[in-house]
Amino acid sequence: MGIRQLRGWLARLAGLFNQEKRNREFAEELESHLQMHTEDNLRAGLTPEEARRQAIIKLGGVEPAKEKYRRQRGLPLIEMLVQDLRYGLRMLIKRPSFTVIAVISLALGIGANTAIFSLVNTMVLRPLPVERPEQLVALQNEAGLKVSMAFSYPNYKDFRDRNDVFAGLIGYRFAPLSVSHDGVNEKLWGYIVTGNYFDLLGVKAALGRVISPDDDRLPGAHPVTVLSYKCWLQRFGADPGIIGKSLIANGRSFTIIGVAPRGFFGTEFIAAPELWFPMAMQGEIEMGAPWLDRRGVEQTYVQGRLKSGVSAAQAQAALNSIALQLESEYPDVNQGKRVVVSPPGLMSGMLRGQALGFVGILMAVVAFALLLACANLANLLLARAVERRKEIAVRLSLGASRRRVVWQLLTESMLLALGGGAFGLLLAYWLVNLAVGAKLPIDFPILIDLHIDYRVLVFTFLMSFVTGVLFGLLPALQTTKVELLTALKDEPSFGGAHRSWWKSCLIVLQVALSLMILVSGGLMLRALQRAQTINLGFTPRNAIEVSFDLRLQGYDNARGREFQKRLLERVRALPGAQSAGIVDLAPVDLHFTGALVFIEGQTPERIANAPRAMASRISPGYLRAMNTRLRQGRDFTERDDERAPRVAIINETFARRFWPGQNPLGKRFSQGSPQSPMMQVIGVVEDGKYNWLSAEPQPYVCRPLSQAYSGATTVIVRAATDPQKLLAVVRNEVQRLDPHMPITSRLLVEKMALPLLPARLAAAVLGGFGLLALALAAIGIYGVMSHAVSRRTHEIGVRMAMGAQASDILRLTLGQGITLALIGVAIGLSVALALTRLMKTLLFGVSATDPLTYSGVTALLIGVALAACYIPARRATKIDPIVALRYE
Amino acid sequence: MIRAKFLFVTKMSDKTDVWQGTLALMALKTLEVMGPLHGYGIARRIEQTSGGLLSINYGTLYPALLKLEQEGYISSEWGVSDNNRKAKYYKLTRAGRKRLAKEAREWEKTTAILARFFAPEQES
Repeated sequence: MGIRQLRGWLARLAGLFNQEKRNREFAEELESHLQMHTEDNLRAGLTPEEARRQAIIKLGGVEPAKEKYRRQRGLPLIEMLVQDLRYGLRMLIKRPSFTVIAVISLALGIGANTAIFSLVNTMVLRPLPVERPEQLVALQNEAGLKVSMAFSYPNYKDFRDRNDVFAGLIGYRFAPLSVSHDGVNEKLWGYIVTGNYFDLLGVKAALGRVISPDDDRLPGAHPVTVLSYKCWLQRFGADPGIIGKSLIANGRSFTIIGVAPRGFFGTEFIAAPELWFPMAMQGEIEMGAPWLDRRGVEQTYVQGRLKSGVSAAQAQAALNSIALQLESEYPDVNQGKRVVVSPPGLMSGMLRGQALGFVGILMAVVAFALLLACANLANLLLARAVERRKEIAVRLSLGASRRRVVWQLLTESMLLALGGGAFGLLLAYWLVNLAVGAKLPIDFPILIDLHIDYRVLVFTFLMSFVTGVLFGLLPALQTTKVELLTALKDEPSFGGAHRSWWKSCLIVLQVALSLMILVSGGLMLRALQRAQTINLGFTPRNAIEVSFDLRLQGYDNARGREFQKRLLERVRALPGAQSAGIVDLAPVDLHFTGALVFIEGQTPERIANAPRAMASRISPGYLRAMNTRLRQGRDFTERDDERAPRVAIINETFARRFWPGQNPLGKRFSQGSPQSPMMQVIGVVEDGKYNWLSAEPQPYVCRPLSQAYSGATTVIVRAATDPQKLLAVVRNEVQRLDPHMPITSRLLVEKMALPLLPARLAAAVLGGFGLLALALAAIGIYGVMSHAVSRRTHEIGVRMAMGAQASDILRLTLGQGITLALIGVAIGLSVALALTRLMKTLLFGVSATDPLTYSGVTALLIGVALAACYIPARRATKIDPIVALRYE
Repeated sequence: MIRAKFLFVTKMSDKTDVWQGTLALMALKTLEVMGPLHGYGIARRIEQTSGGLLSINYGTLYPALLKLEQEGYISSEWGVSDNNRKAKYYKLTRAGRKRLAKEAREWEKTTAILARFFAPEQES
């Protein structure tokens, strides 16, 4: 039976096509039927006319027969849908301006949602590229309030070997590399990983083999490396004979033993290092700073695969019992340390909160914007409903069921929504490509791996569908609730109170939403403005930085010092250079770290409780090149060398915090540990920003490079005129001293773009959406007000006939719109006050309740609302009472 | 188990379907007896066979024929009638014959069962 039925359905599906021919054929068949019947009737003695008439009666009418036949031939439901679609398209094409506004606003709303969702997809929904990623967890090292993702290697080994809840624990760490191969020098990033890393993650080599536990036995004895697929493709031309070849990394030769599979980028979503090295080679990769046997140095990131049946909470409890053992075994370094288990992928959860918060805000904002677009469309549809009242009344009175008409109207909004969705997808595709192509001003292989994959497509489709129902259903229901007689007689309906109540709500909602978005955007703009005036403690304009790492290139201290000295001499001699100096790491940089300081005479109870200060190592002239003002004392000079007394320059916060009310010059402290040699303060500089712009003032200390050498070298040069030109020149000088040195260089102004990036992005996104929202709200208010005026034409006519002045009418109509706008403003303000607190970290000290922003945005909104109300209100005053009264 | 789908056990609520199904079965039987025939002929024959007890609306026959054709129980082609008129002739296919045989068997069973219910009681 099944097959026959299927055949029947297929035939009916085919019946949807070629309808004309089929209609003709059936008409012929009927005609031949009628003729045969007529002939028989004639033979029976009827008159020709009567014979034909009887035949038709017996058939039950020609057209009904045809109709029944048609229904059996095709699929009525689909035909109805096609009919609705056709009709809907015709209606939309007839009102192109409405259609364009609707599709564009939906496309913007849905497109933004899709783009942001692809971010959520990447960061939250997509699993890590490993086997059974759901079993993987990351470990955090918690000591009181201080949370870090790094453990000491000996502690890691103890956790690994003593626990019975994990199938295995892996350790890894990012490593900056200076790589030479085939005559190319590059600065890359890699991972150093424990021997069980690939095995535990279940990652097999695409070529050759991966690092095994045997490659991780003896420190320094396993010079092997695995390339990422992308690295192999892009840097080694996908050379099939790559296995067994070697490359130089950080001055040492490594044999390439394998290529990782395509798509494997490690276990952090946002980073894509290109090489993997065994942990045993740590001392060689991070030259001169081995820490594999040092329990006090916390550098190892740890992830583990839970044994099946073990929950994350059980694992955490088990790890903490080991942490207790470690605390009693090594109290000096493990005091109070606990382990927290968290989801992997976003730096052991360190970034997770921030990333999710950021994405959450974005998602909320775009959802609001879409809601706004929906509200607005619903409003426009309601306004249109008045125009279509007659059409719909005609259809209803001709016998169409209300359900049928609602279905037809919903089909129209579905068409709009799907059209908006399609354009939105295009927009999202463009946005995503823009984001992927964006080059962030940072020296780290950030992976912005956004895709429009099937999840995103499904999301967009559902979004469009829901949108269509959301803005279409209410107007459709309202529209079909007409009283036929009044509608057909073209009478204005006075009983529209409930209808305008809905519309008023929508207006209020729109005003409130656009106010919220605009306030957020305004706050971001204020924050950016504030950021320009933040006292950085230096002047980025006209300064450049050229950085490289002498240690990575294999220079020992003596050669390194010599290199720095000669380079500085050459740079200072350049004609365009006003001043120049060297620092290990220039602010503002997330990598900027602090060191413990021990003030003479202020010994802390425990070492771990010692205060911290941001620390730099600088050459003479650096402060001048950065344009950092010296408040007290003197700058370093060439005489402050290794043999001279140890000296330091501190900032004002340092002085204020540790020697309040005293002259800091001549005071002494040590850095790192209480046993380190004391140094004497010889100068005080202004406060500045070191690791991020919104940071509170922090203590800061500089030491001379000559007394505290660093291979990490950043040359700061202040240009007399054109810093851009100076970039190439300074790079050249470095290359002349060492042709193999990998260098990065940029204007300091460019470097400052990074700390401002989140604020700038947020300002752009919020500002864009805010303006869109404002425009939509204005259209909405205008639409509703002009509808209200046209509905009240009669009433206004009566009032004017009774002697009302134009100003009375203006007040009457304006008042209605403005009241709604004010209610919206009030709601928007109170929600905005609550929501903008979430943005605190992005605001650079601008208060989340900044009165200027709030009053400015409020004034703007009320202004726009007034304008949107004024045009229809003005039209109302132009109503001629005679025409208005006769209109009925 | 008796599946008299074409009669009235299923879809009792939908009158047109019952009628359509019954009509379709009658049309199949007619085609089996008469050989290839046009729609008008089938309609007349059904009325005749019913001895005038059944008066069908001829217009309802065509959707029934179309359904049978869509499901492959009959086929159709244009031909010429006795009095030289162009007409569409319907013909039973092999599937149609099998279907008819099956329906006939089921019909017999059904009537046999019903007959027992309505027959004058013999025991008591």
